[in-house]
Amino acid sequence: MNTELLPALAASPRAADARGTIKARHRRRLFHADLLVTVAWASVAAAVALWLADGGATGFSTLAGSFTALGIVAGLAGIDLVLLMLLLAARIPLIDQTVGHDRALEFHRKLGKPSLYLLLTHGILIAIGYGMAEGLDPVSEAVSLWVLVPDMWLAYISMALFIAVVVTSLVAVRRRFPYEFWYAVHLLTYAAVATSLPHQFSVGALFAEGTWQRWYWLAVCIATGAALLHYRVLEPVIATFRHQLTVSRVVTVAPGVVSIEMHGLNLNELAGTGGRFFIWRFLARGLWWHPHPFSLSAEPLQFDASGRGLLRITVRNLGRGSAQLAGLKPGTKVALEGPYGIFSTAARSRDKVVMIGAGIGITPLRALLESTPFTPGQATVILRGRSEQELYLGDEILDLARHRGATLFHLTGARSARHADNWLPAHAADAGHRLTDYVPGIADADVYVCGPAAWALNVLMDARAAGVKEDQLHYERFDW
Amino acid sequence: MRIRAAVSAALASAGILLAGWQSGTFVEDTGSAAASTSAGTAGAGSSGSSTAGSAGAGAAAKAGGTYAGSVVKTRFGAVQVQITVKAGSITDVEALQLTDDDRKSIQISNRAAPLLRAEVLAAQSADVQTIGGATVTSDAYLNSLQAAIDAANL
Repeated sequence: MNTELLPALAASPRAADARGTIKARHRRRLFHADLLVTVAWASVAAAVALWLADGGATGFSTLAGSFTALGIVAGLAGIDLVLLMLLLAARIPLIDQTVGHDRALEFHRKLGKPSLYLLLTHGILIAIGYGMAEGLDPVSEAVSLWVLVPDMWLAYISMALFIAVVVTSLVAVRRRFPYEFWYAVHLLTYAAVATSLPHQFSVGALFAEGTWQRWYWLAVCIATGAALLHYRVLEPVIATFRHQLTVSRVVTVAPGVVSIEMHGLNLNELAGTGGRFFIWRFLARGLWWHPHPFSLSAEPLQFDASGRGLLRITVRNLGRGSAQLAGLKPGTKVALEGPYGIFSTAARSRDKVVMIGAGIGITPLRALLESTPFTPGQATVILRGRSEQELYLGDEILDLARHRGATLFHLTGARSARHADNWLPAHAADAGHRLTDYVPGIADADVYVCGPAAWALNVLMDARAAGVKEDQLHYERFDW
Repeated sequence: MRIRAAVSAALASAGILLAGWQSGTFVEDTGSAAASTSAGTAGAGSSGSSTAGSAGAGAAAKAGGTYAGSVVKTRFGAVQVQITVKAGSITDVEALQLTDDDRKSIQISNRAAPLLRAEVLAAQSADVQTIGGATVTSDAYLNSLQAAIDAANL
């Protein structure tokens, strides 16, 4: 283990004003988070209220009517959840900057099963309710709805698609198939929503022409579609044309690890995005269709006031596609989407900051260390790797830590065999060291963790044990 | 802070649901008032069915042809159906008029009519169940149908 305590330099005035903004920004972010939760719940309530306002509750006067009424409520709530899921996946900046990309997708996944159950309940209860009123069993009723009522066959297709999308997203099923298969099936969500819409407006009397409920529902559906189109299609295209990124060189950092430098325009707009990730597409044969999510490993470097400059990402040959990146030719055009996520200064809540990285996860911390505000002595950087060679960009981080007055630890060596759930190297783990031994004041610090999932979970556990609260923990999950 | 989110979400949702429910009970009140008056007009409509039926009747036998039922008035509009008879059985039911006072009634009718037609063709009589959520339309439809069946002497 090499440990080096770096001397603090004189406090910079910039860091001092930043302290007030960190607190203010944190309060604003918490307010936005609460607002989003409120709006989400209120939207479900509003969907049910549409039906209540139409005198829907009178349906409960008969048994058949009760089934039908509950079926309608389930359908309304189910589609509302589906729309919320689409918005969570739409990469809307307000959501991304408030909860982060990974948390937004976590909520998205959590809503998957409930929304499917609600939609299935909708179909079953409606078949029972209508069937009872007509003296038919639910199956015959379902068949007659399919055959006789216009637009209903589309609703059946929609249901089948929703089932397919949710089933292929179940963790157990998803592991069996390549990412591309899951992605292709997931795109069917749009078809599922589209085929469900006609029957909502033509068969559901609630959204009949001339009712205000119809206008509300149309507005919600159109707004969701517009958000998806804007943030997932238009913004990336605009960003790609605006920044005109081109690969300028590919530098080998360590065996199997390369830094890709790209020059482009208007990069001043991307200042402060160090640590956040972009989705890159290298427009070369056989590579263009493969999106790569990587964080910047340095703040954008600007050549002049017009925003011409350099971006840099540092990549390790991990999975499909990553290996080919080492062979990128200078001059290759690059399309980008982003920046996304709040593995950045936006997530800060305290004056003190601790950055803990392992392996290739060190590289976003390198960018964060460069830009995030702190007074000298208030930041600690802990780098973990099997050997010194695995502490990628270690020299740059040492320089930055010297200039900005951060404490730097290099923790190298193999994992402990005796303490399998310990994130420290064997000698430290076996000696009983904890996170608090390296950073005594960690309970009052923001903690950024980036590295392999299992290792990162062990760090988070140690941090929680040291008294770090959930909103101080910042951990970007890059796994899909 | 999570408490603030939970409280505001609960309050906002409760407020929205209450507002919906309040305007719903208003619809319910006016709805039931309209329903009681419509019972009267529906009765008057079906009393007129005999005249319409007799007009279409006469020498009609079990041979075949088309027979229009009576015009049954409801609070959502008039309903009239026509049956096609071949060799003593109903081969088709066509709705000449359906409840169409407002867009919503049209939508209800559009859903109910194909279901009623299928039921009638299967049962070969007006003795079938009404359609859930379309009671008024169904009752009027079946009343008019009965008049048409009477006219055809089936």
